[in-house]
Amino acid sequence: MDASCIPPFERQFFEGREDFTRIGAGAVGGKASGLWLIREKILSRLDLAAHPGFEVNVPRLCVICTDVFEAFLSHNDLWPLIRENPPDEDLARAFLRAELPPGLAGDLRALISKVHTPLAVRSSSLLEDALEHPFAGVYCTKMIPNNQFDIDIRARKLGEAVKLVWASTFFAEARSIMQAARVEWERERMAVILQEIVGEKRSERFYPTISGVGRSFNAYPTGHAVPEDGVVSLALGLGKTIVDGGRCYSYCPAYPRTPLPYKSLGDLMDATQNRFFAVHMGPLSDYDPLKETEYLREHSLDTAESDETLRFLASSYDSDSDRLYPGLFGAGPRVVNFSPVLTTNQVPLNDLIRDLMRLSREALAADVEIEFALNLDPKQGLPARLGFLQVRPMAASTEEVAVDAEELAHPAAVVASPKVLGNGTRHDIQDIIYVKPKSFDPARTVEVATEIGRLNQALLDEKRPYLLIGFGRFGTADPWLGIPTAWGQLSGAAAIVEATLHNMRPELSQGSHFFHNLVGFGVYYLAVEPQSGGRVDFDWLDSQPAAAETAFLRHLRLPRPLELRVDRRRGRGVIRHD
Amino acid sequence: MSQAKGFNPFEMAQKQFDKVADLLGLDPGTRELLRYPMREYAFNIPVRMDDGKVKVFRGFRVQHNDARGPCKGGIRFHPQETVDTVRALAMWMTWKCSVVDIPLGGGKGGVICDPHNLSAREQEGICRGWVRQIAKVVGPISDVPAPDVMTNAQHMLWMLDEFEAIHGGHHPGFITGKPVGLGGSLGRKEATGYGLVFVLREALRELGLKPENTSASVQGFGNVAQFAIELYQRLGGRVICVSCWDQKDQTSYTFKKDAGINLKELLDITDRFGGIDKEKAKGLGYQVLPGEAWLTQDVDILMPSAIENQLTGETAPRISRKVRVVAEGANGPTTPEADEVLRERNVFVLPDFLANAGGVTCSYFEQVQSNMNYFWEKDEVLGKLDVKMTSAFHSVSELARQKKLYMRDAAYVIAINRVAQACKDRGWV
Repeated sequence: MDASCIPPFERQFFEGREDFTRIGAGAVGGKASGLWLIREKILSRLDLAAHPGFEVNVPRLCVICTDVFEAFLSHNDLWPLIRENPPDEDLARAFLRAELPPGLAGDLRALISKVHTPLAVRSSSLLEDALEHPFAGVYCTKMIPNNQFDIDIRARKLGEAVKLVWASTFFAEARSIMQAARVEWERERMAVILQEIVGEKRSERFYPTISGVGRSFNAYPTGHAVPEDGVVSLALGLGKTIVDGGRCYSYCPAYPRTPLPYKSLGDLMDATQNRFFAVHMGPLSDYDPLKETEYLREHSLDTAESDETLRFLASSYDSDSDRLYPGLFGAGPRVVNFSPVLTTNQVPLNDLIRDLMRLSREALAADVEIEFALNLDPKQGLPARLGFLQVRPMAASTEEVAVDAEELAHPAAVVASPKVLGNGTRHDIQDIIYVKPKSFDPARTVEVATEIGRLNQALLDEKRPYLLIGFGRFGTADPWLGIPTAWGQLSGAAAIVEATLHNMRPELSQGSHFFHNLVGFGVYYLAVEPQSGGRVDFDWLDSQPAAAETAFLRHLRLPRPLELRVDRRRGRGVIRHD
Repeated sequence: MSQAKGFNPFEMAQKQFDKVADLLGLDPGTRELLRYPMREYAFNIPVRMDDGKVKVFRGFRVQHNDARGPCKGGIRFHPQETVDTVRALAMWMTWKCSVVDIPLGGGKGGVICDPHNLSAREQEGICRGWVRQIAKVVGPISDVPAPDVMTNAQHMLWMLDEFEAIHGGHHPGFITGKPVGLGGSLGRKEATGYGLVFVLREALRELGLKPENTSASVQGFGNVAQFAIELYQRLGGRVICVSCWDQKDQTSYTFKKDAGINLKELLDITDRFGGIDKEKAKGLGYQVLPGEAWLTQDVDILMPSAIENQLTGETAPRISRKVRVVAEGANGPTTPEADEVLRERNVFVLPDFLANAGGVTCSYFEQVQSNMNYFWEKDEVLGKLDVKMTSAFHSVSELARQKKLYMRDAAYVIAINRVAQACKDRGWV
């Protein structure tokens, strides 16, 4: 987009007339373009009268354009170091030591002198915009409390956060992903968004009551829902819980009252969100400017209850009746199922989200993913403020592919799955990396992830797409639930197969960055649960000669390409070796 | 680039003051107080020279006004130094500190000498002798010297060492312009040039001009000009020529390249006094023109950043009609007669004591850091400098707009009013 349509920053920020400004004259990057689109094309068409009690806006922000980033790199002569491909930490340290462009240092001080509310320092990369690739969660976003009394400290912290986000442009994971996307990483440029965080200070914590991610297309509809009904994931506190694939509550906005398909209340209670993220507003024990989560803290639901933020989010379990009741009653366990919001409609949030998703879909003429944060009145629920934080298109293939049920049982099927993500065919995969079932140990999944990362890099260097087969959930934050790979460690995979093992749930969190990257990069995903008719032919795989073998993995290089077909409409996928 | 014969800078400074005093309607007592320095010291400095003989040098320190805080001002080593020059510069320092709203007064010092003809040991003798003569009336809480014409960080360290020997203990806040690591501040060398461009950037914004669509001609190629050119070019501006003094030929030349000068290549052929090698410049494709050619160029911006008295009643009419802004990096480059010409032509003037106040502002930062013995990162220094300069510019330009004043007059009104008010508040007048 043309940055000149955004008014320049005038060193007034919160006192100024403009709530969306820019520093510099270069590009504003993908995320900032999305936010501008929200403001100009989506919120301008929202009928707020239909949603009384809600204030909806893009939280006040200022974008540092890519030309400032380029000036920073050249002024500090950072390119030679970047090209040496140093470890992330060394690169970040060099960026932190480097000087801000003189004008920017002044602008940041002017901004910070007026702003005392916590700020999110968010990446907004150029290629993300140009390629319509999400790079979700790849670059740093740093949240800072910005509540120190001394303006010098606040300005320094803000400067450090901006430099960290800039440095993350060239972190190993980002490079690896760009390599996978066949993009020269040296072309990448980073704009940075400085944005107020929606929320409220409660004791030493600052967080929104609810964060959410909505997607207008749902690859895994349940019950009566169809994919076009979409899916919404909600969580208490900062959105990090959702985008990192943590425990959150996902539901179909067309049927907000339909309970999730858990087998029992016990299962629901096991799966409910029990921790949440907040910006820490108190004194810090550690100074670590290289850490993206330096100011984030996790808290328990008890803390939220004492903060009075659970009232509209939770239901309470009554052991006498073995039932859940919306709201906070008695001393029973709390389940964060948003029942007071979704079932009893005390805060008609779902109607607003549906409107926002519809308008976003119309504005982008594509299926979309949106992110938002909401702050509720602690007593009444309303008035509430919804901060619209992001919109991006979901890339989806429209190719007509038909996979019949019988095909899943075909003897040549290496992988057969009745639960898939993506749509299309591929005939260019000759490499397979799979986790050896016999040596797989759930206690050593971190080592498995490291081995995958190494093979991934080697195949990326050879420019060979591959099929990756593993157990449990890839990209999980919990190493006991699967293989905790960062996206960059498997970024060269053309298709990912998650097989079930006992005690490992293969469900993806639909709001997670990992999930979004799967969609955005067109990576096929096949879940294999033997009880649902899926299978991986490990005998056939084991019978093939290995091109390489490690403690946990085998790498096969087949003489002929595999045939991959994924049928989104029927939700089936098959990979055959003949 | 020479000073006109018979030109008295102090008379010019008083003339400028009188005009604003009239505008402000200052009472006679305040007027009298501010028209002259509060204190003047003149003294002899005997130095044993390398040949074994003793030579006596004449030194000065003028403290114009310290109502708003300790006096602040440089020490000049110059063979043509006069007490009137020092007086004028001390007065301008008072206004300069006031217009950027830092809690300091104005002072200036000097020694009649030519460092070109003095060994390092002899210069050290002058520095230490200067401090011995004046040690009782200068210091971190009374008067804080700094480098100026032909003095540098080494001179400041000799002076600091002598001051500390006399008073005992460490007093890094006595003097500024010290090297980084020995009480100096990061960002000091960039401060004046960057400060000039910070206010220029705001002026262009106010005029609706984008820096990348502008061109500039610069007089001088010393510290101020070099950093001003660097930052202006980083904003996208095009500098088409610079003018500087040639020590060998004892005249100045203008080095011009229409496509824009290359700062780095010129710095590679520049001596430590800011003189460009003209033969090498020709080899690099520069036109070498007479010294005054810089002021007749068809550019949007003129940056006189060398010495005083360059835009005069005689030279100002030769300025191109294209010029929209004059950003004064030097002290006193424009005479009142030239101001009339610029005002008639509606040229936006960034007056010296605002435009080049980045140096003293950073000196103030250095003093603050020295006094607490805690030093800031460069980002912090330059960020604070930018905020200070930008804020000062907007105060001045807002007043100029509201009261329909010439920018220099508006800056003087703000500066003099603040000092006059401080004198009143202290009960002096």
